[in-house]
Amino acid sequence: MPTDLVGFMMDAMPTPAPIDPRGPRFNQAVLAVALLTGFLADWRPVVPLFALVLLAGAAFGPRYGPFLALYAKVVRPRLGPPAELEDPRPPRFASALGVVVLTAGALAFAAGHPGIGWGLALVVATLAGLSATTGICVGCELYLVVARRRKVVAG
Amino acid sequence: MFVTRAVIVVVILLAVALAGRLYRAWRTRLQDERPAHPLIPASLRAGAHRTWVIFTSPYCATCGPVEARLRASDPAARVVKVDATRETQLADAFSIRSAPTVLLADSDGYVTARLVGAGAVDDHLRQAPVQG
Repeated sequence: MPTDLVGFMMDAMPTPAPIDPRGPRFNQAVLAVALLTGFLADWRPVVPLFALVLLAGAAFGPRYGPFLALYAKVVRPRLGPPAELEDPRPPRFASALGVVVLTAGALAFAAGHPGIGWGLALVVATLAGLSATTGICVGCELYLVVARRRKVVAG
Repeated sequence: MFVTRAVIVVVILLAVALAGRLYRAWRTRLQDERPAHPLIPASLRAGAHRTWVIFTSPYCATCGPVEARLRASDPAARVVKVDATRETQLADAFSIRSAPTVLLADSDGYVTARLVGAGAVDDHLRQAPVQG
């Protein structure tokens, strides 16, 4: 018996190909570890560096994000197939938010406010760690709010 | 200075671990809730003997696989997906707070099972295989 859809797929906007959800979680784990390690060592370049890393994946797609590509080429072949796939738009939106906050952090460093810079970086590290370890993706939840306002739906 | 930073990092790690525990507890509580459900609307059941209603959301990663498993396990039943972010009145009426939440309705619209999360669906299908 076919599946009926209620309030679903009402838009003409095509749904992007689903992705392996372990890729973004690997990316978030690397991000959290890098930012926390950078904070411990007071190595400030880690903040703009990972703003660029996130920007590459968010703006151009997973193939261009260094750690997303690392996952796809090195880690995933060693794992079994994913139990499920997910819409790529929420994690990309979350990455874009990370870019904004890390860029703000980098600007704070440049303006001579390291406390603000590290504070913003630690917010990103905490949320990335939360998403990597529990699957709670705050940025993805915010995407839902935005999607509802724009009436964007996904399969 | 390093010690202060190390303490902050430890606090962050503990906060993440605590949030994870609270999240799992919340999911468990949702699963254990047995709200008084209204009848599943006839428009969703369309006269079917048994109807699975899957409440989804736009970012739900597990809803597609859940739908596939239900269709494979219970081919005689009707399966309906409802976007809870669009059908908000329906979602509120059935106390939907997480996707996927799956309701099983009999031919009269009475909810006979409420499953929160893909794992709960798997457990239900394993423990109570569908009979014809």
